[in-house]
Amino acid sequence: MAKKVLLVDDSTTTLMMEEMILKQRTNYECVTAKDGLDAISRAVVEAPDLVLMDVVMPRMNGFEACKRMRTESSLSKTPIILVTTRGEEEYVEAGFQSGCNDYITKPINGFELVTLLRSYLGE
Amino acid sequence: MKISHSPAESDNKSLALTVGDQAKVYAARIRLQNAVDQADALDAIREIAGNLIGTEEVAVFKVDKKRSELWLYWSFGIDPNKHSLLEVRREPRLKQVLSGKPVFRVRLSTENLLCTDDPVNALIPVLVDGSPCAVIVLFRLFPHKAGIEPVDKEICGVLSNCASRAVEPCHSR
Repeated sequence: MAKKVLLVDDSTTTLMMEEMILKQRTNYECVTAKDGLDAISRAVVEAPDLVLMDVVMPRMNGFEACKRMRTESSLSKTPIILVTTRGEEEYVEAGFQSGCNDYITKPINGFELVTLLRSYLGE
Repeated sequence: MKISHSPAESDNKSLALTVGDQAKVYAARIRLQNAVDQADALDAIREIAGNLIGTEEVAVFKVDKKRSELWLYWSFGIDPNKHSLLEVRREPRLKQVLSGKPVFRVRLSTENLLCTDDPVNALIPVLVDGSPCAVIVLFRLFPHKAGIEPVDKEICGVLSNCASRAVEPCHSR
């Protein structure tokens, strides 16, 4: 069965790009959400194998969504990768404190994205 | 996570890079073409600049009828008071942009494209019926981004050809 990835971003441009990269370079199934609140409800229903989530979003940001996902028993061990525009140390630290497993910076590099996801999900 | 670059992975890397670049160009084009109105088209420009190129400082200047000056029409992430008007006679690079060709700051260059304290990385003409009626200016890139890359230039080409809805009507001065 194909591994399922939940892509979370308020930018349709980013979702389109991520989905296209993953569909062409992997056999992962993609589902999407447009903000942190939407992501939590989608994650509970879809039970993804990995969550790739933007940080800056309306209604609920990625840090908060990550923290809340960790309180859900079904999502407590799901790998969460945050997508940030900043690679500064304190910003990355805030991401790890929210419970994420890893981070990747924008603009996303296709090779880095695929390599990172494969390191968690395999081929 | 540390990304390895062993020779065995070189083919995969170039393929993934190519797919990644194609995805960016495709997403930029579709986003602009599907913009429902002017506000959405301007939002698309902000999204493309931030998510695909790597800058959260962007402005759109409209060209006046005489093509002698550009006035600030819309901006995001910059101080609009610092960049309200650009005079073409004071900015030789703008002549090239107004001929329809984008201008880029080359990788790691300290050269300034405009007479401004804020580094400018790209000047992109917005073409309407083949003629530039506005200029998109990309200011500082994210600190972790070294410079404008070939794929960024392709995305700028998409902005040049598909962003006309963001600046209609063409001349309003």
